[in-house]
Amino acid sequence: MLRATLRSFLAHKGRLMLSALAIVLSVAFVAGSLIFSDTVTRTFDRLFASTSADVTVEPKQDLKSSVPTGAVQTVPAALAGEVAKVDGVAGTHADVSVQNIVVVDSHDKSVGSTTGAPTIATDWYLTHRSPVKLTSGHTPRGAGQALLDADTAGKKHVRIGDTLTVQAQPGTFRVEIVGIATFTTTNPGAALVFLDPAVAAKELLGSAGRATSISVDAAQGVTDAQLKTRIGAAIGTGTYDLKTAGEQAKSSAADLGGFLDVIKYVMLGFAGIATMVGVFLIVNTFSMLIAQRTRELGLLRALGADRRQVRRSVLTEAVLLGLVGSTLGLGAGVGLAFGLIKLMTAFGMNLKATEMVIGWGTPVAAYAVGVGVTFVAAYLPARRAATVSPMAALADAEIAGVGKPLRTRAVVGGVVGVLGVAALAGCAAATRTAAAASLLGLGVVLTLIATVVAGPLLVRPVIRVLGAAFPALFGSVGRMSQRNALRNPRRTGATAAALMVGLALVGGMSVASASMSKSFDQQIDKTLGADFVVQNGNFQPFTQEITDKVRGTEGVGLVVRQRFAPVAVRLPDGKRVTTTAAGYDPQVDEVAHVAYKGGDTAAALAAGSLGMDVTFAQDHKVRLGSVLPVEFQGGKRARMKVGALTDQDGGSGFGAQGGLFFGIATVQKYVPDGQDSSLYVNRAPGTGADQLRSRLEKTLAPYPQVQVRDQADYKKLVHDQIAVLLYLVYALLGLAIVIAVLGVVNTLALSVVERTREIGLLRAIGLARRQLRRMIRLESVVIAVFGAVLGLALGLVWGVCTQQVLALQGMKALAVPWGTVVAVVIGSAVVGIVAALLPALRASRMNVLAAIAHE
Amino acid sequence: MSTAAAKAPTADGVAARARGLTKAYGAGETAVLALDSVDVDIERGRFTAVMGPSGSGKSTLMHCLAGLDTVSAGQVWLGGTEITGLKERELTRLRRDRIGFMFQSFNLIPTLNAAENITLPMDIAGKKPDGKWLDQVIDTLGLRDRLKHRPAQLSGGQQQRVACARALVSRPELIFADEPTGNLDSRAGLEVLGILREAVDRLGQTVVMVTHDPGAAAQSDLVLFLADGRIVDRMEEPTADAVLERMRLFSGGDPQTPGPDVGHGSAGPEED
Repeated sequence: MLRATLRSFLAHKGRLMLSALAIVLSVAFVAGSLIFSDTVTRTFDRLFASTSADVTVEPKQDLKSSVPTGAVQTVPAALAGEVAKVDGVAGTHADVSVQNIVVVDSHDKSVGSTTGAPTIATDWYLTHRSPVKLTSGHTPRGAGQALLDADTAGKKHVRIGDTLTVQAQPGTFRVEIVGIATFTTTNPGAALVFLDPAVAAKELLGSAGRATSISVDAAQGVTDAQLKTRIGAAIGTGTYDLKTAGEQAKSSAADLGGFLDVIKYVMLGFAGIATMVGVFLIVNTFSMLIAQRTRELGLLRALGADRRQVRRSVLTEAVLLGLVGSTLGLGAGVGLAFGLIKLMTAFGMNLKATEMVIGWGTPVAAYAVGVGVTFVAAYLPARRAATVSPMAALADAEIAGVGKPLRTRAVVGGVVGVLGVAALAGCAAATRTAAAASLLGLGVVLTLIATVVAGPLLVRPVIRVLGAAFPALFGSVGRMSQRNALRNPRRTGATAAALMVGLALVGGMSVASASMSKSFDQQIDKTLGADFVVQNGNFQPFTQEITDKVRGTEGVGLVVRQRFAPVAVRLPDGKRVTTTAAGYDPQVDEVAHVAYKGGDTAAALAAGSLGMDVTFAQDHKVRLGSVLPVEFQGGKRARMKVGALTDQDGGSGFGAQGGLFFGIATVQKYVPDGQDSSLYVNRAPGTGADQLRSRLEKTLAPYPQVQVRDQADYKKLVHDQIAVLLYLVYALLGLAIVIAVLGVVNTLALSVVERTREIGLLRAIGLARRQLRRMIRLESVVIAVFGAVLGLALGLVWGVCTQQVLALQGMKALAVPWGTVVAVVIGSAVVGIVAALLPALRASRMNVLAAIAHE
Repeated sequence: MSTAAAKAPTADGVAARARGLTKAYGAGETAVLALDSVDVDIERGRFTAVMGPSGSGKSTLMHCLAGLDTVSAGQVWLGGTEITGLKERELTRLRRDRIGFMFQSFNLIPTLNAAENITLPMDIAGKKPDGKWLDQVIDTLGLRDRLKHRPAQLSGGQQQRVACARALVSRPELIFADEPTGNLDSRAGLEVLGILREAVDRLGQTVVMVTHDPGAAAQSDLVLFLADGRIVDRMEEPTADAVLERMRLFSGGDPQTPGPDVGHGSAGPEED
């Protein structure tokens, strides 16, 4: 029996190829993402482990803010001396390292990374742990000299002797590059500027007596943990965070991990889509192979093979296919990881492809996915194969499965569908975000399953409609292609399902994102009253100098600053909420339209007061006039009165949880060295908008990190940020379509083989090759469009429900991107045409006589 | 006979003509001659049967005459058109517009109903069938109440009648029928033969039928006997007994089973 299985596997290898390709793709994505993240993790673990001091003393990080404030937390530099006295300390160093700077070249272009990696200015202090070494020039001596890292120098064409401008919080200064430092380890992508330690603290922190951390070397025989305990005892742990080298490495890796996790999840998303779509392909291939082999299977049964043997034979074939696909996929995964590593290099993260890590988990996962998926996908067809009766060997058998009623599918699809629709309806009716979101998830999964299961039942009615114009447009050729698509609803349904899954996802996401864009537009229209907003593209705060320059620009009437402060508030219901609050200048009413439920701007911004979103307040039993304990960074505490409650659409959509805000004086008091995050600028009377804009742009030319935006620009910025999400979705769609095309090709190719005699007859009675190709193309198009219509219908429903969830977050506008919908339908027709190319060619090349004589 | 090969037929009473028609499979020493320099005239308005033992080349002859197969040497004309040397596209058009086909089995497109199958060649050509003629054919063949049926819902005889109607409705110059009764029981077979006979007698249609059934051949006006790729004999006004007797000579007294038989494969694979 095994020999028969092997023979059959080899005999059908051509037909199994497309299924194998689907497996290869999904396994490649799984393996690739695992190899990539293992490699990156290993590289950075090594980097951080080798560069962390034995013990690091840092300012207490009590409140972590998701929104940067621009403030640098420091420790007294004298602490280094104090720590040095602790028993077991071999040496200490007061580090100065800041990221709140911008370095520009003589053309006012930033030398920093354009991909979000930080620009770091630090003191040049070489130890055995330093990740860099001086490769040319000399060390910086005194103010006005600096080193630049070799990667940045190379990318931005900076040479020794060039002058760079460093915009630091205490003030802007110019440095001459006197040397180039080269990474001896992996460069995580940052741009590094090194200053003379003698002047670094003064230039970067504004005071020679401060440091950002203290690095401590342990004496021989003292462990990091022992030393940490001793230092803690000496200087106290209330104001400082102490970390051993291991802890420091771990926290650095965790900071980087967020970014890597994104890549990993995106890759796994691709793997998931590839797998899901691949399943349909495999199910279809095996169903068709079994249909074609009905006689052969019947013969096996007639010769005495029992059902279990037949089933096992088919499943063995599936496992073989899975093994082959997984092995190839694993290889492709290594290639994919290699490509990703190269891509990271392009982004400035210098990973070495030669140090690729393939953990034991990678092949295990690869084979588990590849073989598992194939096995599961082939299980149903295998069961069907086992039901072939021995009589099938004798009879001119009806192709297995075609005539079987779809009753089970109707029942299962109907029940699951009703449940799914109920979940979605519940989602639309829900008033709490959490409940709505989980109902949405449930509804999406259930409706997807229902549509896949009931897909074949929808084939007849939908394709009747879709292809209704075919006979009129294309005559007999059109009629035959429409009916061919209807011929085997199971097959058409499964083929279209592959496309459907991808397009449903896209449909849902595009409705959601279009609705988000529209909601933000409306919000911007409603709330933004300023003529211009000066802001960093990444919402990074900027130095005081910029605010001063903007204020000094001719024609500027009013400037309202916005700053952020991380806070924790203890609320009357006992909850402690950590969030980010905004601080504004008092004239905020002139640049923004804020709707209040109680109180007003003046009351919210008054000293000792704050404003809050009314929904958040109600949720936490806060009333107008409530006095709340508020914690700021560095252990500072205050009791603040709720002076106003805002009632904004999407109050929490823009800002952080709770929509907390207060006067800018409050921020300045508790976050002394903070930077402005946005400036809202109004024209002075008599100055035209364009006039002011060009003046502002001229003023801000030396500051490439900030841009001037009016309402339209601001909307575009928001749209662009939402679009990033969409691009990802489109990439997923691309992959899904590739596999779906494979599925359509597969189905058509096998159908063509099945219909050899019919094609021969048609050719004999005078159907031209061109007409035959058109017939197959039209069938392909109708299948693809069927998948698209089903997918989009499902996606639109999902999108509308998603919007209902977003509406609870204040994004109340619903927008359906009809342009995208139409484009997707047209695109799917193109997909159909592309998929039909090879099968149509093959059919038209078929020898007429051989086709007539085909048995 | 090869001296006459170059001469084109005039538009006399000949529907199809072959001169020096040779068909070889394979090449060099292993080449097998399916047709060996055959000269044949198919006369217009007659019912011609082609007979011969398995492997005699009768189906190949039909395929070559109908423009379904290429020839190795020689010339073939359909009416005044030389079809040897025509391009694939022209051949397709010729088959569509000027030739009608009936095969042993799998004659109809399963997704189309009877009416759609009947008009298929004209639909492919983008022509409107002559309504009166179409009605006449349908009624003559007794298919009026079967028009909306799919092939799967029709009996074998009905299916062949639909195929026959399809061949007749475009009024082709020539109808080729390849074992049209091979898959039918004797009653249905006789019915189909009767229709072909009537088409020749009443409508002046030209029919060429490949068969190995002496009973079917007896319905024709002229039987051509093929053996080893050559026309070895011809019989005007045949009778079943005479044909059977002639066939017996080929196989040394062991003729193929007479009468309409089921289960005999189509001629194609046997001869290829």
